[in-house]
Amino acid sequence: MVESWDAAAYAKQTPETGTPIAGDNPVYLPDPVTDATVRMLVELAAQVWIDRERLLVLETLLAEHGVVTRAAVESFKPSVQQAQEFKAQRNQFIEEVFKSLRTIPVG
Amino acid sequence: MNAPVTAVPETLPPLASRTAGSYLDFVEGFREYILGSGADFERRLNQAAEAEEVRRGAKFGELAEIRTFLESLPLTHLRNRLTRSQQEMKWTKLSATYQAQREQLLAELDAWDERGPARLELDPKFVHPPYTNVHFHLQPGGYFKDELGGFLYHHGTKVFFRGENDKDELHAKLVSLVPPPADGNVARVLDLACSIGQSTTAFKMRFPKAEVIGIDHSVAMLRAAHRRASMLGSEVTFAQRLVEDTRMPDDHFDLVFAFIVFHELPQRIVRDTVAEALRVLRPGGVFAIYDFNGVQDQSPYQRYHRYCDARHNGEPYSQDFCDCDLAAILRHAGFSVLKAAALPDRAGGPGYMKHWYAVKG
Repeated sequence: MVESWDAAAYAKQTPETGTPIAGDNPVYLPDPVTDATVRMLVELAAQVWIDRERLLVLETLLAEHGVVTRAAVESFKPSVQQAQEFKAQRNQFIEEVFKSLRTIPVG
Repeated sequence: MNAPVTAVPETLPPLASRTAGSYLDFVEGFREYILGSGADFERRLNQAAEAEEVRRGAKFGELAEIRTFLESLPLTHLRNRLTRSQQEMKWTKLSATYQAQREQLLAELDAWDERGPARLELDPKFVHPPYTNVHFHLQPGGYFKDELGGFLYHHGTKVFFRGENDKDELHAKLVSLVPPPADGNVARVLDLACSIGQSTTAFKMRFPKAEVIGIDHSVAMLRAAHRRASMLGSEVTFAQRLVEDTRMPDDHFDLVFAFIVFHELPQRIVRDTVAEALRVLRPGGVFAIYDFNGVQDQSPYQRYHRYCDARHNGEPYSQDFCDCDLAAILRHAGFSVLKAAALPDRAGGPGYMKHWYAVKG
């Protein structure tokens, strides 16, 4: 591809006049803790929906194929390796939901 | 000559994971919820603003008055937080998922660059004017700094339109409404700032025998547009040009089209672009424009929304556009304005969008 722009000069946005644009990570609510809490709540809702939709897909497919019953899911025990994988995914989940905590100013 | 405009198949590359799709599905629904009747912010905040006007015995004047009033309400801050969040969430997820497929998608673009039937004309000496270096709608890298920007834009707008434009239904409808010149002859069409070329291909469907050219400043957009049009079998041309300096011949086109372009241009460039459209249209040719509605037709909340969109959604030029009188600019340049009217919103009242049809000579 043709490199048709100056990456260094255009690293930051260069609008010509107009309304000043907000910077990265603006805080909207008067209290930054509340602001971050709202962000976390929306992120959490997105994560919950991902899981709920996947469960809907899985339950539908499993039932259609007669593979796994609901009782088998309830009694499932992961292996050591499986448990480690689950915990890694759990930690990623926590990061995605709670990353706004880092943006709250100390003062 | 004037064939019906029909829907086209989806051409977006699939996302790398179902998880990303589910996340974006949430964002789509959440956006509709907070901007629509779910959270009901618009109706309630506008009602509060209008009640304040009654209390004061006068309409709000300057935007600053509306801001002062609405920002005294906690609900406004929450609305602004949520509106920004859904946009950031969309781009963060889209950017990450396409980055994960980066090499594959770039290889696919490379392969399509060499294929037709659409044509691609990139300009190795092209220089992006500084005014274009804006992350419009908060899209990472803006329109041209990410090679995958065309795919990002396409998927971002898919979420924006709630899946209702997956087959270019909106572009097809707007293109179908454009009045041809009085003599009915449409041999050449120019689509200004065509991005991924959805209206470009819609024009080719409507006027199959016409030469249809889409121009844009972004290589990323043009390559995605070229791939998409070629996948659809559309014999259109995409060229890297500026809307204010198309380098097209005088008196050349029967139709020039500008869909949501002008609000992303500084006022200086708005005027230059109108003059350029006049130059490249043949006498009797039509300039069709769809863009944001002006301040004079907007409710207090709509004016505030437009301000927030400008400041918090990477639209620095949109407020100046809403404040300008495009019909007057068109007339001053030498156009006859056939129509300048707000498009209705979902409730049937004047909405956020407007259309202008102007004729040369």
